[in-house]
Amino acid sequence: MILAVLFANSVGNVLIERFNGVPAEERLTWRSFLVKLGAENLKGVKNEELLVACHKSVYIVYTMLGDVSIFLVGKDEYDELALAEAIFIITGAVKDICGKPPTERVFLDKYGRICLCLDEIVWNGLLENTDKDRIKRLIRLKPPSEF
Amino acid sequence: MAEASGKTLMDLISADPTPIPAKSSSSASASASASSTASPAAASAGSHLQQPMSTKTTLGEKKSKRATLTQIHNDTISVAKAALIPVKANIMPQRQRQKKKPVSYTQLARSIHELAATLDQKSSQKQLVNHVFPKLAVYNSVDPSLAPSLLMLNQQCEDRNVLRYVYYYLARILSDTGMSPGGGIPTPNWDALADIDAGGGVTRADVVPRIVNQLTSEASNSETEFHARRLQALKALTYSPSGNSELLSKLYEIVFGLLDKVADVPNKRKKGVFGTKGGDKESIIRSNLQYTAMSALRRLPLDPGNPLFLHRAAQGVSFADPVAVRHSLEILSELAARDPYSVAMTLEKLASPAGALQDILHLNDVLARVALARLCHSISRARALDERPDIRSHFNSILYQLLLDPSERVCYEAILCILGKYDNTERTDERASGWYRLTREILKLPEAPSKDKSNKTKRPQPLIKLVMRRLESSFRSFSRPVLHAAARVVQEMGKSRAAAFAMGLQDIDESVHVNSFSDVLDDAETNDSSHPEGIRRTSSISAGPGRNETIASLLASLMEVVRTTVACECVYVRGMVVKALIWMQSPHESLDELKSIIASELSDPAWPAALVNDVLLTLHARFKATPDMAVILLEIARIFATKVPGKIDADVLQLLWKTCLIGAGPDGKHTALEAVTIVLDLPPPQPGSMSGLTSLDRVSASDPKSALALQKLVQAAVWFLGENANYAASEYAWESATPPGTALMMLDADKMVAAASSRNPTLAGALTRLQRCAFSGSWEVRIVAVQALTTIAIRSGEPFRLQIYEFLYTLAEGGVQSQLSEMHLSNGEDQGVSGTGLGVLITPMLKVLDEMYVGQDELIKDMRNHDNANKEWKDEELKKLYETHERLLDFVSLFCYIPRAKYLPLGPISAKLIDTYRTKHNITASSGSTDPTVLATGISDLIYESTQPAPAASNSSGLDDDLVNAWAANLGDDGLLGNNAPAMSRVNEFIAGVGTDAPDVDEENVFSRPSVGYDDMWAKTLLENNELEEDDARSGSSSPDSTGSVESSISSHFGGMNYPSLFSSKPSSQATAKSSGSKYQSTYEGYGSPIREEPPPPYSYSEPQSRESFENPMAESSSRSYGSDDDEPRKSTGTRFGTALYDFTAGGDDELNLTAEEELEIEYEVDGWFYVKKKRPGRDGKMAGLVPVLYVNQS
Repeated sequence: MILAVLFANSVGNVLIERFNGVPAEERLTWRSFLVKLGAENLKGVKNEELLVACHKSVYIVYTMLGDVSIFLVGKDEYDELALAEAIFIITGAVKDICGKPPTERVFLDKYGRICLCLDEIVWNGLLENTDKDRIKRLIRLKPPSEF
Repeated sequence: MAEASGKTLMDLISADPTPIPAKSSSSASASASASSTASPAAASAGSHLQQPMSTKTTLGEKKSKRATLTQIHNDTISVAKAALIPVKANIMPQRQRQKKKPVSYTQLARSIHELAATLDQKSSQKQLVNHVFPKLAVYNSVDPSLAPSLLMLNQQCEDRNVLRYVYYYLARILSDTGMSPGGGIPTPNWDALADIDAGGGVTRADVVPRIVNQLTSEASNSETEFHARRLQALKALTYSPSGNSELLSKLYEIVFGLLDKVADVPNKRKKGVFGTKGGDKESIIRSNLQYTAMSALRRLPLDPGNPLFLHRAAQGVSFADPVAVRHSLEILSELAARDPYSVAMTLEKLASPAGALQDILHLNDVLARVALARLCHSISRARALDERPDIRSHFNSILYQLLLDPSERVCYEAILCILGKYDNTERTDERASGWYRLTREILKLPEAPSKDKSNKTKRPQPLIKLVMRRLESSFRSFSRPVLHAAARVVQEMGKSRAAAFAMGLQDIDESVHVNSFSDVLDDAETNDSSHPEGIRRTSSISAGPGRNETIASLLASLMEVVRTTVACECVYVRGMVVKALIWMQSPHESLDELKSIIASELSDPAWPAALVNDVLLTLHARFKATPDMAVILLEIARIFATKVPGKIDADVLQLLWKTCLIGAGPDGKHTALEAVTIVLDLPPPQPGSMSGLTSLDRVSASDPKSALALQKLVQAAVWFLGENANYAASEYAWESATPPGTALMMLDADKMVAAASSRNPTLAGALTRLQRCAFSGSWEVRIVAVQALTTIAIRSGEPFRLQIYEFLYTLAEGGVQSQLSEMHLSNGEDQGVSGTGLGVLITPMLKVLDEMYVGQDELIKDMRNHDNANKEWKDEELKKLYETHERLLDFVSLFCYIPRAKYLPLGPISAKLIDTYRTKHNITASSGSTDPTVLATGISDLIYESTQPAPAASNSSGLDDDLVNAWAANLGDDGLLGNNAPAMSRVNEFIAGVGTDAPDVDEENVFSRPSVGYDDMWAKTLLENNELEEDDARSGSSSPDSTGSVESSISSHFGGMNYPSLFSSKPSSQATAKSSGSKYQSTYEGYGSPIREEPPPPYSYSEPQSRESFENPMAESSSRSYGSDDDEPRKSTGTRFGTALYDFTAGGDDELNLTAEEELEIEYEVDGWFYVKKKRPGRDGKMAGLVPVLYVNQS
């Protein structure tokens, strides 16, 4: 299960968050944990360099993309490596939409489409589509394979 | 949640005129901790805003994106003001700042209604796609009043982009269960929106059926033009919560209907079809539908007993769409975990060497192959398939082939499967055979249908070699996730290896292993810091032995690479490496290197407390796996205590000390106690000195906070020493053979110490340490030390008691300081030179000892008189003696726990007389102890089954003295039994591998760490002192009045001037006894019942014990009394809660199906069955029924 997908800006404000199977009362702690993790470790990190953390048996993979930091939290089959796979797809999609590693402004400009993309990539806590073209087609309401 | 994070979103995307309802709708817990984060967030948001504000005038009027943003930013100001200015004013545009309307949720909602009505205009569609919908996405839910407009859009709009958003929002309405489902800004209170004309008064209940109907009809629409919408409609439907059984059955119907049409078509599978334009239209449409149907099926609840479900899932394996294949494999692997037999039968053909499962090995989807590994693992290990070895070997061979997978994720999953780690359930036998498989078995590729001739692995390869090579190369990776995962795999290897050792599976290889491994260890010590060198050396080593490689040499070279990984800059990777090293450490190897690695690691301030405690818990788990390692683990724990006192959880550390002390067994317990108390030998931390960083034995408590924490730890250790020294030294007054008279003759202190240390070095050593603490520690430590000394004095025989007596006496007088001044080390605190402060404390302690000695003196005098006069003891004399005995017992019990039945405050010689009196007057020996079940605290359960056979109920004389003493020393009544101590539950949770609880975060540190001067920090600690005490009070809430253990919460007693032994020992031991008693009431069915196979409940052997040792007919009555306790709650009522441990299939009408981890309400218990209620109805629609007790984990 991918427990959480979270986007934050450079000062640690949450831009997008999607929780799956995390009780509402735990979300706040997760949010501040992730933001704190980012504040401590993401300084000077290259775009898309993957960082890792874990808490009990829950894994966290996070990275920086332009002005935006992206966090993924998962457990069970979504371990560090599977999350790394997922975050790769997410960063790819965001870059595609924004044209380059986004500034916060560009990111907010494309907010709606990023949400749709995310909806195609992570569906109910499970990784769904991994192929760029396919995601692109799906957010424009086209079938996954074109005829 | 709202304030901290929400502010930005709200600020940046829209201005909300109703922040007050939004705030109130957010949870209370959120606002509590948000308050600390809100201000920096607001501040940063504020500073953020300054800049776009200035550019506003130039760009503000255009409808450009930039302008929108500027407007958004400016809206923030209005939000900020909203708190001050009445809401009414806020609805009016803020004139001085802004001419445009702020975009609020209400306005977004209104625009959707309006734009939906004017859909025919192109501009409306544009407006929707570019402005309205993206902004709406910020909110965590969409209120149902939007649904009619969305449905209208869905029916009438042609624009794909609009429609895509419409499906997105419909799905969100469906998924919303009242709580914020996905995060984001809380949507303003829906009630507040009721005045919006179009959507007034619409509730979820009204719209959901309409949405479902519309989506259902779209999902069943088979027109080609409608194809894409059909897929999205089905997807949106799967978002509906699974609690709605009506909707669920509808969904099953649609999905199965779809699969009926598309799945059965004979399938010419083209590899890598995915995305190519080549296929004919029909087959592509079919493949798309297959994909959607399988994705939807994956989101539906599993239906294990349903053959159709299985059949459909299995069909998916041959679908053309890789995502569909992945989902089908995932479903199958979950099914296989429950019912491997039927899954294996269904997949029999596919698994053969040319079958479809082989193709998946080359499928370009990592998670699909991961699912394949799990599937193969479940099937190849299934007992149900014992008579079909052919099937098992097919799946096994696929699993082994996955070891060669190019993706680390897949390869590691295969390794973990082979090692016997499948989910979080730890089974030693499975683990042990996993290690056996890994070290023995060989991968033979099936006569390959694969085309690549260049396959170098044609030759059979031992698994271990493949795995080692793979892991070694992974450790050279630069990717942190890869390093972390590889270290985790090594840790799992360590676990399996430990299990194999515990099961006695080692053989010739292991003996080779031990020697060569330690050899390598020794040279590795020399150069392990430099990364590249280490790697070069490794490769040379692994190349060296060539064909003669043993498991040992392979492991050695692997471990060397693992050790080099501590050079990684990511602290979590290093943490995982340390855990791996702890697991791979075997009891016979040299520990030095591990110790130095850990010590240097912990000197790094980057280690977060959570991670440090995780490693501490790993020590626990390691101890559980190999109790022999108690001493080694304690030494490691000691490094933690000294290096990072501020970060570790004293409760967990104490628990580790205790479990190790008991687990070390009779031979090891002396050493174990030593290892614990070495903490006390450390020089007190010198504030501000950083010189200690390099040395192992120095405390690095350079900041005041950790100095404080260290002091608490020392207190804990002192207390621990006082409570447990007698146990470790096997020295008990009630077993001491030395008559008190002999001790009285050795009043010369030097001789006494000499005699004591020659008789029992362990206890003598402990006493020396405590004595030193009693005058050279900080104030709090000294208090605890004095209490600990009293405890030992009361529990020990002579000459120890006398030695302590003398020490306490001088201490009270203030004379010790000079006597022992050469050992005195200042920690900068006033030592209270005269000792007068302690005198107040010591007086009652001395008094109790005085009274005991006076009593003994008189007894001896009386006995001599009687002997000389050669007369019998009269009843009144005996009575007087007995009363003194009882009075002293009461007195002594105030200070520490002692077994009343055995303890003789008047010395061993009084035993006979007291016994005579008791027998005459039919006094039960245990009557003093109010609760007979105290004796039943169940020592046998302390030690895990593997290390200590539970005493059999019939074995009346077989009660191990050691165990009684362990219990007497208060070791028995800790959380190990009741599992209710917070530390224990943390340990258990950790060992069981659960981990969804949110991590702890220092709220104050979330955003910034302003630099503070040293003086400020001191000032801060003064303030924090209070906080810490409050914390303690909280952690100590389990004791002594609740059922928690004293030990695990003992830190609570150190906050102030409490006397731990005055309050902690007795009441809580009784309380725990009660709790453990009640625990057994549920599992133990009375004496006559032969139902249980489990080890007998502890009190079944305490009964003969009490009878035998006191030879008192009345003892019978006491045992009877708790026998009858037992009968009363056979059908216990009162609601409890629990979770299902396993799946359970109902065998009759009154029984209830269970799915593992379901939450249950336990109504009552009847004959091994619980009558339970579920929170929501199961698949069969039943809410309540009977389930076996053993299937439920009571919470």
